[in-house]
Amino acid sequence: MIKPGLLTTVQDRGRYQYLAQAIPVSGAMDQLAHRLANKAVGNDDDRATLEFTYANASFKTHTAVLLAYSGDGAFLMYRGEIMPAEKPLLFPEGAILTFTHNPLGARTYLAVAGGWQVPEIMGSKSTYLPVKFGGLEGRKLVAGDVLCNGDAISAVSAAIIHELSSRGLIYPNWRISREILLPLNRKSIRVVLANEFNWFDASSIIAFLTKTYQISLKSDRMGCHLSGKPMVRKAKKELLSTAVTPGVIQVTGNGDLVILMADCQTTGGYPRIAHVADVDLPLCAQLKPGDDISFSEISRDEAEELYLQQEHDLLLISKAINIKYTSTI
Amino acid sequence: MSEQQGDFASDYSISIYALSEKALTVVFGQVISETLWHLVSSFNRLLTQNPFSGLTTTVPAYSTLTVFFDPLVVASADLPGKTCYEKVSAYLKTISHNEPGQTGLGGNHIVIPVCYGGDFGPDILTVAQNNGLSETEVITLHSGASYRVYMIGFVPGFAYMGGMPQTLATPRKQVPAAAIPAGSVGIAGLQTGIYPIEIPGGWQIIGRTPLQLFDATRQQPALLKGGDSITFKDITIEEFNAYRV
Repeated sequence: MIKPGLLTTVQDRGRYQYLAQAIPVSGAMDQLAHRLANKAVGNDDDRATLEFTYANASFKTHTAVLLAYSGDGAFLMYRGEIMPAEKPLLFPEGAILTFTHNPLGARTYLAVAGGWQVPEIMGSKSTYLPVKFGGLEGRKLVAGDVLCNGDAISAVSAAIIHELSSRGLIYPNWRISREILLPLNRKSIRVVLANEFNWFDASSIIAFLTKTYQISLKSDRMGCHLSGKPMVRKAKKELLSTAVTPGVIQVTGNGDLVILMADCQTTGGYPRIAHVADVDLPLCAQLKPGDDISFSEISRDEAEELYLQQEHDLLLISKAINIKYTSTI
Repeated sequence: MSEQQGDFASDYSISIYALSEKALTVVFGQVISETLWHLVSSFNRLLTQNPFSGLTTTVPAYSTLTVFFDPLVVASADLPGKTCYEKVSAYLKTISHNEPGQTGLGGNHIVIPVCYGGDFGPDILTVAQNNGLSETEVITLHSGASYRVYMIGFVPGFAYMGGMPQTLATPRKQVPAAAIPAGSVGIAGLQTGIYPIEIPGGWQIIGRTPLQLFDATRQQPALLKGGDSITFKDITIEEFNAYRV
């Protein structure tokens, strides 16, 4: 690692087995980009990737290596050219790679064939910075860090490397289309109304579903803080602390909205007005301070259908890559 | 169904809501009480002993149990209903109680040594004055009671405990302290709890334990878990320091 960028951490699908001990899920904020970067190098989705926040990072390869990236925070540059995203990229030893500014979003995921090797803690390689565990020594990457890929690469990864190296190519002519997995309007977030939505007065609920909210500077891996018209409560009821999960939209004591994200606490006592449809959570991961977003309501069943449809599409993508390279499903 | 057995859904007024596409929350009530806690934890135990296909994990809280699942597995599971929400709800409603020999709470009894007052308990005077007590009386009352861990939440390993004497109840600080050291024992309203890691917080701090409440590298990272019964033991600063070596 030559320049680490603003905030670069090792992340994966997250840590689900210790929620009852109040260990947050963590994991990649944009799970879709994380998974696509993995798929593009022939990895399983649960392999660790590097999560870069914005650009301004650069690193050097110590060996020939198969990488792929996905996300909207940066473009990967090699020898003055932008490398295509969601494609396997075979770099020689000593290649200097740089992430440069992508105005579209915030986070970019870099996968390596075999996955980045760090110790597994509580069933995951994800970094949880507030308590300094997981990932590389529980911290963000700094200049001078050296990361290795896992020893065992998949048969698909091996076949991709063989294809590219025998033909002297950096990348093949195929790529995964991330665009078709995302809605056209990436600033309109689909939500399902939550259990306490009727704790708020009608004008607040209408505002929530029609007005624009701005991402505030306080936003981080724990939550996306929004500024806009404060929600007004109808009744002075208190919620007993209960489980929350990434995507839940809490309303704080002064009426502000917070979309809980990957590092959020496992329980919370603020009333919830809605939750973000799981398929739109990657859009929230790409929001930057100052971005304007709005919410549109869908039903619980629609959100579930969208989720199942997307999982089905992702499965087809993996199958297609597997068939291409190993003729097995 | 035998006469001895009933299901939770019809015998208690439980309700269910979707927390996300991957989680449902079962609500048993709206208050903090030993009875409700007992319901949540026995429901949790029965569910984890008899999981449905696709169950990922559960998170018990004061009066709710949240059930996480993999929608892809549930969607193809042989359960009544069209959607995952319906399927999981239907399964949860069949969970029956009153299993013989399952009345125990299943928690451990843990004694937590605490060095009260002084630098370790900067707010003990606030708690004393708020309740018209002396500092010694606060220590005697706090270390004389028996507590139950109702839930782990807020930060890794933070145990919310009930059972504190009413005469110690003290509201949270108006302005949270910027950094509360790990091991600090605090009071908030009728609850007592221990900070497992150094973080900002609003609880009134009355002492500190030398025990490590959270360690990411341990088999069970959190020392306490829901259902444990807890007593506090008053120790001196010398005894506190002896724990640390």
